[in-house]
Amino acid sequence: MTPTLMFALAILFLPLLSFAFQIFFGSKIGRAAHWFSLAALGVTLSLALSFFANIFITPGYALLDVSAVWFSSGSFTVELGIYIDNIAAVMLVVVSTISFLVHIYSTEYMRGDPRYTRYFGYLGLFTFSMNGIVLANSLLMMYVFWELVGISSYLLIGFWFEKQSAASAGMKAFLTNRVGDIGMFIGILLLFMQLGTFNIQAIAEQVEFGAFDGTGLLLTIAGIMVFMGAIGKSAQFPLHIWLPDAMEGPTPVSALIHAATMVAAGVYMTVRIFAFLTPAALEFVAVIGGITALMAAIIAITQVDIKRVLAYSTVSQLGYMVMALGVGAFQAGFFHLTTHAMFKACLFLASGSVIHSMHHALHKIDDHSTDPQDMRNMGGLRKKMPITYISMVVASLSISGIPFFTGFLSKDAILAGTLAYYHLHHGWTIFLPISGFGAAIITAFYMFRLIFMTFHGEPARKDIHEHLHETPGAMTTPLIILSVLSLAFVFTIPSTVNPFNSQGWFTSAIHTGENFAGLDMEVVGEALHHAHEPAMMISLTVAALGILAALLFYLFKVVDVEKLTRRVNKLGLYNLSFHKFYIDEIYDAVLYRPFFWYTKVVAKFDWELYDQKFIDWWGWLTLKISDWSGYSDYTWLDQKVVDGFGKATRYFGKELRLSQSGVIQNYILGGVIGILSIFILFQAF
Amino acid sequence: MSNFSSIAFYLPELLLVLTILAVIVVDLIPGLKRFNWIIALAGIVFTGVLLYGDSGVSESLYLGTIASDPFAYFFKWIFLIAGFFTILVSRHTHALRGADLPEYNALLLIVVFGLFLMASATNLVTVYLGMIETVSLPSYVLAGILKNDRKSNEASLKYVIFGAFSSGLMVYGFSWLYGLTGSMSLSGIQQGLAGVQEPLALYMAILLVLAGFGYKISMVPFHFWTPDVYEGSPTPITGFLSVAPKAAGFAILMRFFYSVFTTNSLTTIAGVDWLTLIALLSAVTMTFGNLIALQQENVKRMLAFSSIAHAGYMLMALSILSPDAIKAVMVYLTMYLFMNMGAFFMVIFAENQLNAHTLEDWKGLGRKAPFLGALMVILMMSLTGLPPSAGFVGKLYLFAVVIASKKFYWLAIVGVLNSVVSLFYYFRIVKAMWLFSPADPKPVKADSVIGLSILLFTIPALLLGIYWTPIINLIDKSIGF
Repeated sequence: MTPTLMFALAILFLPLLSFAFQIFFGSKIGRAAHWFSLAALGVTLSLALSFFANIFITPGYALLDVSAVWFSSGSFTVELGIYIDNIAAVMLVVVSTISFLVHIYSTEYMRGDPRYTRYFGYLGLFTFSMNGIVLANSLLMMYVFWELVGISSYLLIGFWFEKQSAASAGMKAFLTNRVGDIGMFIGILLLFMQLGTFNIQAIAEQVEFGAFDGTGLLLTIAGIMVFMGAIGKSAQFPLHIWLPDAMEGPTPVSALIHAATMVAAGVYMTVRIFAFLTPAALEFVAVIGGITALMAAIIAITQVDIKRVLAYSTVSQLGYMVMALGVGAFQAGFFHLTTHAMFKACLFLASGSVIHSMHHALHKIDDHSTDPQDMRNMGGLRKKMPITYISMVVASLSISGIPFFTGFLSKDAILAGTLAYYHLHHGWTIFLPISGFGAAIITAFYMFRLIFMTFHGEPARKDIHEHLHETPGAMTTPLIILSVLSLAFVFTIPSTVNPFNSQGWFTSAIHTGENFAGLDMEVVGEALHHAHEPAMMISLTVAALGILAALLFYLFKVVDVEKLTRRVNKLGLYNLSFHKFYIDEIYDAVLYRPFFWYTKVVAKFDWELYDQKFIDWWGWLTLKISDWSGYSDYTWLDQKVVDGFGKATRYFGKELRLSQSGVIQNYILGGVIGILSIFILFQAF
Repeated sequence: MSNFSSIAFYLPELLLVLTILAVIVVDLIPGLKRFNWIIALAGIVFTGVLLYGDSGVSESLYLGTIASDPFAYFFKWIFLIAGFFTILVSRHTHALRGADLPEYNALLLIVVFGLFLMASATNLVTVYLGMIETVSLPSYVLAGILKNDRKSNEASLKYVIFGAFSSGLMVYGFSWLYGLTGSMSLSGIQQGLAGVQEPLALYMAILLVLAGFGYKISMVPFHFWTPDVYEGSPTPITGFLSVAPKAAGFAILMRFFYSVFTTNSLTTIAGVDWLTLIALLSAVTMTFGNLIALQQENVKRMLAFSSIAHAGYMLMALSILSPDAIKAVMVYLTMYLFMNMGAFFMVIFAENQLNAHTLEDWKGLGRKAPFLGALMVILMMSLTGLPPSAGFVGKLYLFAVVIASKKFYWLAIVGVLNSVVSLFYYFRIVKAMWLFSPADPKPVKADSVIGLSILLFTIPALLLGIYWTPIINLIDKSIGF
């Protein structure tokens, strides 16, 4: 076993060890048990960083590529293996950094929770599963960890399962994800059926050398099917409905799982399979991403729960990433995944800090009915919580796409991608840049709406405001680290500090993508290059417009928001956004209700017809038959035949007992009769 | 190979014999007496070391009477593992405590040595020597080692009588074979079969031999001794008897029938398709074992009947008798070693700590010892053959062979139905353990050796259901007569 492999296995299994430790010994040790998890995650992080450093020391691909036979049966062999290239190395660092920071943050946020150690155990289980997805070299192994991630997400969303809403949110997340996962599994099996391998590299290679005739319809279907997994996990339209509800989990969990890492797993998987997605499949991917980005952004405008705003913002940003991959802006998509992980984790942890503080204040004034997450109860928090405020502003600037911040670099590249796609294809594809830029302006707007409603203006509730205070160091330190990681130079240094230039270590470590299924990456690259400048201009303008609107609406109150809302609502637009396009209601009407109706009908049929009539009829018949057979059995078989044998046996038994005692002779007799009857019967037939 | 030069390839067995002698001698010295089990365990460990370094030879040892082939090699490991843990666990079995058991370990080691001989015998004489002289005789004593226990005595006596009966049949069969072919060695018989003029006689001979082997693996109708002996014997011995001699029985059965008949393409003798006969016996054996196990209230007796059913499952593959079928039986035996002995260790634990024998006594055991209770659930899952457990993989291979042969589809169906039946009684144990509150909720702690042994046997019972490639690799290397 090479040291590299050992490191990779340690990255994978240390968090699992942490899980096992917390589950078996946590409750006995109590609060101090978190040191074990912190240590395990610290080592994981440093090992991930060592792989990351390797990108610079030994450039090139595949830092590690090993496989071992899991099992084989005839010609059918299933392998498990680890594959680490630059993309995986970057992803490992993202996952373990945020996981580590969330562990630190949680020591304070979850203080005093009755299931404190179990919480850390679940975090470990999640990190293990997520790292498994990142390290997997085959779709099958990825699928296994994919489901494990689903389980840990379920456990963490429903962590406060005493609350009905939390329990059902966990269930909703799990079931919705299953829908996507079934598609993914079908896709994986389609690929396996055709190519006989689960290995991602091998699939890409076979596609390159002409399996599926390069652009076959089947490959498109398989690609879309596998991508369905991403639709579920990355909360893309139409399966995005679970993510906002997932905010029922503890806020650090939202930051780690439902913002930075797990929901990005779908994007990561799409990055992995990008090489064999056909242009048609990619078109589908782009459209799904475009719809998601715009729709979720529109919903986010009207939400009043601070976490829900961020949840929809996450859905929208994931839409961006998916759209980027769909239009062929491979590098930009993965770049946005990385930058988004940092600033969105920062936003969630900052909102957690606000909620934590609100919660304590409400607790002090003995108010248990006010929602600590409702922004309408906040306002003017800026002076009370300066660190939270500043880090949130930094992250908001980043997500809005303002120069000097990471979001600008990655988002700009995605927008350039959509524009380039339109230049290449024309026609309806204008939807993609419209969705991209439209979502960008809305993003800037709702983010600053959130900032202004929460931190600026007059406190909405003076009584609460008095008791608010900045959260402890364990919570603010991760905020500071994450906001620093949201600064643009982190990704460009040392090549450049020019905020408009994204060329840096990231762009040189992550290639621009290969496609073997018919997409010419040269053409895409060329178009991207040309679209770059106009995209930057437009995106700067829309970001500024969005922030300006938020300023006018919520800080200076130049426009009366209430009046505007009422006016807009004449067309039902406000309600449309506030009720999330009624998608949950639509599903209820067209999916759940018909389904429950169907189950009722079937149950009725089963009971009234099948059970009461058919089965009972059989019962009656059987009774009759058994009556008759019982009669003949007793009078004939029993009285005559069996008793006859019985008498005979007793007679022989009596005779035999004279010479021997005990039951053993019956055994021997059985053996003899057995062997004789075999001999005779088999001879006879 | 001549007797003298064979010694170099017979070192593991010779070390076992030395250990047996050492244990007997130490038993006679009052001061050293209590160390005899350490010597016994050390002897097994060093035998293992020698065995590990033993690469085997293609030529038969001792003038062609004993093979040192990969096939025997594989089975020897099963015997060593079973023997090691039986000696270890016996020391911590309360029922065996206080009884004067000077020869216990020595007898057990003799059985292990006999099993070695059985797995590697290639001559009717060595088969008889291994099977009857060295395995059965000490087993009779071991079954009745609790001299003051009436049940133990009864078990021993029944074992002796039924054993004598079966070995009588077997030796009679051997004599027919010798008479027909003029040879005692398996290869000689195989060659001599071509010239046999009386197929009916040959058929009779095979039946008689099958009776002898069937007795060892408790095949219906030669299973009658099994429940009584298993119930009456001290539990560690029951666990050992249910696994090790059964494995040896299968080893000799496969070696005999495969090398004598299959390599001869002799599938029909005197108009009888003897493979169909085995298939029928397999169906009857598993059905009988499972149906009776269903009725049992005594956990040990239930496991005894279920071990008959497991023999039935393995016989399924024997009715195909291809190299793949042999492989499947070996896979199953490996899984069976862990899950069945693990379950018997759990029975020892229940007897030790709670004096629990019946399902009624087992009620609430899971609540009283949650960790071991959870392990027992895994073992029961595995014995039933539910995924992801070792038992599932074992059954998977057995059924795959039967279905792939396209010969006995009905047998596969019978096997699956039987698995369903077995689910019922295995999970009666689970139900008793977990779904009832114990009369006395005080937690019980297992003796650390017993607890550890249960854990050590449960880990493979689960792990081999997820990752069994190493076992397959080992077995692939071990199919060679």
